[in-house]
Amino acid sequence: MQLSDTFAVSQDVVDRELGGEVVLLDLSSGLYFGLGSVGARVWEMLSQKPRTLRELADDLEREFDAPIERIEADLLELAQALRERELIIESPG
Amino acid sequence: MNDDRHGGGPFNEWDLREPREQSDLPSEPYDRWVSPDGVCMAEFHRRGEGFLLRFPDQADIALDPNGQGDGFRGTGWPIPGCPSRVVRNLLTNAVLPVLGNHAGGLFLHGSAVSIHDGTGRSVGAAAFLGLSRGGKTTLAGALAKQGHPFLTEDVIDLRRRDGTYWLQPKTSKLRLFADSARHLLGTGPELSDNDEKQDVEGGSTLPFASEPVPLKRIYVLGTDHAAPLEIASFPPPAALVALLPHAFILDVEDKPRLRAHFSRMADLIDSVECHALDYPRDYAELPRVTEAILASFRAD
Repeated sequence: MQLSDTFAVSQDVVDRELGGEVVLLDLSSGLYFGLGSVGARVWEMLSQKPRTLRELADDLEREFDAPIERIEADLLELAQALRERELIIESPG
Repeated sequence: MNDDRHGGGPFNEWDLREPREQSDLPSEPYDRWVSPDGVCMAEFHRRGEGFLLRFPDQADIALDPNGQGDGFRGTGWPIPGCPSRVVRNLLTNAVLPVLGNHAGGLFLHGSAVSIHDGTGRSVGAAAFLGLSRGGKTTLAGALAKQGHPFLTEDVIDLRRRDGTYWLQPKTSKLRLFADSARHLLGTGPELSDNDEKQDVEGGSTLPFASEPVPLKRIYVLGTDHAAPLEIASFPPPAALVALLPHAFILDVEDKPRLRAHFSRMADLIDSVECHALDYPRDYAELPRVTEAILASFRAD
């Protein structure tokens, strides 16, 4: 996985924000997944339109007080977890 | 918008047929309910535009669309020797709740009591969600015995009006295993020492609440029956994840309905506090458990 990869949310996922966090339910598998506040923000941005991880990282850097290297590393880890669970899918961009 | 959500109404035709054996079905089930110890409690099969629910060693129940919206016509075939009360319980505690959720209602697997203050006035309902044989009915019975009437022993039927979730009273019976019944009632009733739950009618010892009560607290029972007593508030996302397995779903492959159901469950979490309840399943500990529940319920 690279920062230039573009991702979109799966159409089989339903989400709900609760208390600043987000719960995802994959309607195909019936599995749930919880996202903390930063993950919830990533999910919100991806829900609007497909984006590259680089675009997401740049937006997060503007919103959160953290070094870009750490943001990128955390984002890659999150995207990997979401893709493994088929909650996000690679998009042609 | 009318947000009075309920179910049960779609099931308006019912036909109980002669008993028959449960022969092999031509299809593989698309869903199963499996107990914590791995026993299949129900299989869900497709049947044309409808469904066939197989309750192993109990009954087959077909649900066929009746052409009236989300309505179904039900047909039941108990196995030979299956008591009529077993079929009645399947209808009440499994079939009607799945149909209710299918039609846009909010039904959860659990028991509930109406908590009363010192003057005998109801201050709201407490619901207890848990797996089969998890202690829900005994807990409701123990609280009822202390003057907090039970509303239901197995099915939480919620109807939303003006932002409040009203918990509907169900049957005025508690289905208890013999040891639970003896603990709650002493030596009074005639009980069989078998491994089946038995009906215990509500009354002066175990009062029943016959009117709907606003739901104030949900307690999700832990699965560790040796755990020490602990009540912990669930953050809303964890509460939603904890509650979802306790819903009755007819068609797990019907994505639009699943999406709507998820939304209704999240709305519930937005309105009602949810707690994790762990406690040892030991009759001697029940007074301490009910005392902790009452203290938790009354705390803001």
